[in-house]
Amino acid sequence: MKIVFKINGKQVSMEVKPSLLLIDLIRDVLKLKGTKPGCLEGECGACSVIVDGEAINSCMYLAINVNGKEVSTIEGLTGTENPLHKVQDKMLEHGAVQCGFCTSGIVMTTKAYSDKCLEEGITPTREEVKKSLEGNLCRCTGYAKIIDAAEAVYKK
Amino acid sequence: MDFDVINTTTKDELLTAIEDHQDTNFRIGAGYTDLIMNLRFQPTEGMTLINIAQMKDPSFISIEEQQDHIVLGTLVTASNIVNSPLIKLEFPVLHEAALSVASTQIRNSATVGGNICNASPSADMAGALVALKAVCCVLNSKGEERIEPLASFIVGVGKTSLDKNEVLKSISIPRNSGDQLKSGFEKVGTRNSMEISIVSLAYHFQLDESGKVVDAGVSCGAVAPTIPFAESACDFMVGKDLDGLSETDKEEFAENVLKYATPISDIRASEWYRKEVLFNISQAIFD
Repeated sequence: MKIVFKINGKQVSMEVKPSLLLIDLIRDVLKLKGTKPGCLEGECGACSVIVDGEAINSCMYLAINVNGKEVSTIEGLTGTENPLHKVQDKMLEHGAVQCGFCTSGIVMTTKAYSDKCLEEGITPTREEVKKSLEGNLCRCTGYAKIIDAAEAVYKK
Repeated sequence: MDFDVINTTTKDELLTAIEDHQDTNFRIGAGYTDLIMNLRFQPTEGMTLINIAQMKDPSFISIEEQQDHIVLGTLVTASNIVNSPLIKLEFPVLHEAALSVASTQIRNSATVGGNICNASPSADMAGALVALKAVCCVLNSKGEERIEPLASFIVGVGKTSLDKNEVLKSISIPRNSGDQLKSGFEKVGTRNSMEISIVSLAYHFQLDESGKVVDAGVSCGAVAPTIPFAESACDFMVGKDLDGLSETDKEEFAENVLKYATPISDIRASEWYRKEVLFNISQAIFD
């Protein structure tokens, strides 16, 4: 099946197997390995990417359904001029990264949520920040530092 | 996983695809948050997937405000519901139920139609919609529509009244007639996120100016093969003043809700625990 979509700002057109999952398109076809396969059942959020501004689990999303849409992965967040996105900066600052496997998913989820908050002019409470990360598991940090980092993203 | 996909973007394409596949094994895919898991663990050889995720027809994808009803297209996502100011204002029970679904990522994909057609007794949005006396609009491959109350549309675990040539098009919720509301969704599980309910209770009481109940809707989740509408509990509440409820009233309400619970013991909780919890949360909503 032919699909046309944008990946990290670049328009692509390709033929894909109809049953291909988005995570496999991203990792195996496009060779963007920053998106991580964790549980593959929508629990852990390591595979989170942004489709048309919303964070989704790419392990539970058919590749054909990105047709006409815009997909962002961790690789598309920054360029050579700004090597780190604000969310990534805050995560480093707060020591929120240990083994790193969950990190790209957490960065993408937080990026989508912070864009939404910015658009609506909202500064979320700590509880709301926690709620925004409920679909991302981390087995190293114990979450406190991740939530601190995410919260810092919203502070002026 | 290996299957054929028919992509449909309009109502006519969808109806043709359903009509053409009456003699074959097919599934309809919308948000995929449940279906992908099914497909991964079941043989998919020879199966056709009718993809409706790219539908453009507004009646399938939008939240429509009518004079007497709010109509949710089957492809409205849990996030669409959470972000709708209208639903938050008029049907807090549905807002809370949608917000309690899994996680942000799942809510961004999961559809209300899928939550209903998956027919899980613990489905959160379906539970709220049963309490709201929602009605399903079902479309068949000939383009004919039929209407059925959601409470009878779900007939058992994983089973709906849908025929093979039918698809759920939309869900209508009658608008409130009362002046004030007491409306909410209680969900009990072992953690807050990504949780499948052990027991849930959806309630929507409409009150007149003096605080008397003029209309009541209550349903309980994960305690029966379907999501029962607790009619006798609703009847018991109509005419009562919510501020003046006695402890006996609260107990009697909870006993009425409990009549509809025939839970099983499973991996998540025992039958005894589910009944105790249902009774307690039913009583506690008035505290």
